[in-house]
Amino acid sequence: MGNNRASNGVWIFGDYRSSFQNRVTLELIAKGKELAETLSTEVTVLVLGEEVHQYAIQYIAHGADVVMAAKHPDLRYYQVEMYTALIARWIEAFKPDILLAGATSFGRDLFPRLAKRVHTGLSAGCIGLEVDPETGNLLQTTPAFGGDLLAEVVTSHHRPQMATVRPGVFQELPYNSEAVGRILYPEIDVQPDKRVKLLASQRHQVRKNSLEEAQVIVVGGRGLGSKEQFELVFELAELLEGEVGATRPAVLAGWSEQERLLGQTGKAVKPRILISVGTSGALQYTAGIHGAETIIAINRDPRAPIFKTADLGLVGDYTTLLPLLLEALRKRIPRQ
Amino acid sequence: MNIVVCIKQVPDEESIRIDWKTMTIMREGVDSIINPLDYVALEVALDLRRRAGGRVTAVSMGPPQSEESLREALAAGADHAILLTDPAFAGSDTLTTSHVLARAISKLRPFPDVVLCGMQTTDGDTGHVGPQIAEELDLPQVGGVMEIHLLGDSLVVKRLSDGSLDTIRITLPGLLSVDQGPCRVTHLPLGGLEVAFSQRDIVRWGLAELGLSEEEVGFRGSATRIQRLHPPAPNREGELLSGSPQLLVDRLTRKLEALRVLDEGDGK
Repeated sequence: MGNNRASNGVWIFGDYRSSFQNRVTLELIAKGKELAETLSTEVTVLVLGEEVHQYAIQYIAHGADVVMAAKHPDLRYYQVEMYTALIARWIEAFKPDILLAGATSFGRDLFPRLAKRVHTGLSAGCIGLEVDPETGNLLQTTPAFGGDLLAEVVTSHHRPQMATVRPGVFQELPYNSEAVGRILYPEIDVQPDKRVKLLASQRHQVRKNSLEEAQVIVVGGRGLGSKEQFELVFELAELLEGEVGATRPAVLAGWSEQERLLGQTGKAVKPRILISVGTSGALQYTAGIHGAETIIAINRDPRAPIFKTADLGLVGDYTTLLPLLLEALRKRIPRQ
Repeated sequence: MNIVVCIKQVPDEESIRIDWKTMTIMREGVDSIINPLDYVALEVALDLRRRAGGRVTAVSMGPPQSEESLREALAAGADHAILLTDPAFAGSDTLTTSHVLARAISKLRPFPDVVLCGMQTTDGDTGHVGPQIAEELDLPQVGGVMEIHLLGDSLVVKRLSDGSLDTIRITLPGLLSVDQGPCRVTHLPLGGLEVAFSQRDIVRWGLAELGLSEEEVGFRGSATRIQRLHPPAPNREGELLSGSPQLLVDRLTRKLEALRVLDEGDGK
């Protein structure tokens, strides 16, 4: 489509299926508004579903200029093929400049297919978005090589410039009940893909786990050596009223649930304090913890790369350190 | 059941180090492995074959040394291996990578019933290639798959998606991106490794064999480009302490006090 400086808008995919996903949508609206101001254009949120009006109102109150709402009983469940077809037609009709979604499971499923359909570039799990003042291109910052380097990705000759963005990177705008915007209900033609059928969906129960919101996180890695040792990480987290995270080797070994995986293929977290035990500091893992305010690392190898990421590094053997620490903490924290 | 599994050779994350002066990956001492989730996909492929019969074809796009990963796949039990390699493929983003892989898969006869990919790679970490192959081949796709059951000409799969556990029926042919599920990885016997290294042939396809032009692959065909690499917010590298366990624990509890995770002094 070439380099066209006149912008046709910043579009956000309105993911609302849970409060967590809805929050990333609000974060993207806030960032999208900033980008739209730079490009002298508007922020449009796409919302697809069976009952979407309440979200449309919410998005306007949080800063959207326009909401394009597709309302249809068949859109009740997220389905990649159906959503791709619908949004691709909108892209062809309105030619937006930028299209963003949260890097949620669904965003990461939908956007690659959509980008391929409209033949444009896509960057994954961005942590920064800016407009290049010279070219007007979107500079998409995304962790590379496991997060120890950041890559600035540009999509110079294709439109829209598409990106998925990590939850928690941007700040949502406060709810403004007096905000004014337009809600459009375009005519739509929905064709469910019969090849994929959702048979059942249930909330997945995990041991108490709200890593993204936790103030204190204790992470265990391969160095712990066994499931029994890893349980000490759970004890420490409990004493500090925190959460447990795990590196991939620990998940692969079965010491922790998959949902606790931190890093490049897991979650990115931003607690006040993160205590990392028996983790070597592989890039894959540290990619997920840069947002922590204070990182304390315990490892027996003084040359372990994790110490480069830590504010306080303790060189020692956790098999003696952890029980001692737990004992010290139990003395200080009265049992409920 | 004919199964294709896409695998990528990646640097072993445990051995990657960055040269901070030049901001490049230090190649020395970096081992290459099959991307861990692609390995899971391979195991799923072999398991499906055990249950439903058929053949497993491993496909990899990459530089010539990616052959090692295909040898490993053959040793693990794959029936065929195809290496997609051509100097023109260098610099491919996910749009062009999926184009090359989709083209190769479309050439297979019979056309596969199932295409399996790992959910993500540890190096690129985009998770784009699976869904984009599905799009180019007009296949239905399910991502984040952790469990697979055979059901006639379809599969019933479970996937974890943003905190809900979905059960989905997908009609074949179709593409699944598999995630590390609750089912444990059992490591495959690599007894066949020597045989694989010496005897089995790996098919090599480049631009010509795939009927592709240079404009649609590599740097030239890609929509995205990395403009700049830079280090993230300052490296922390704070205080590093060694000593007796008691000393370390004291220091840690003082730090937790300072951060107000613990109340100061003894008791409450």
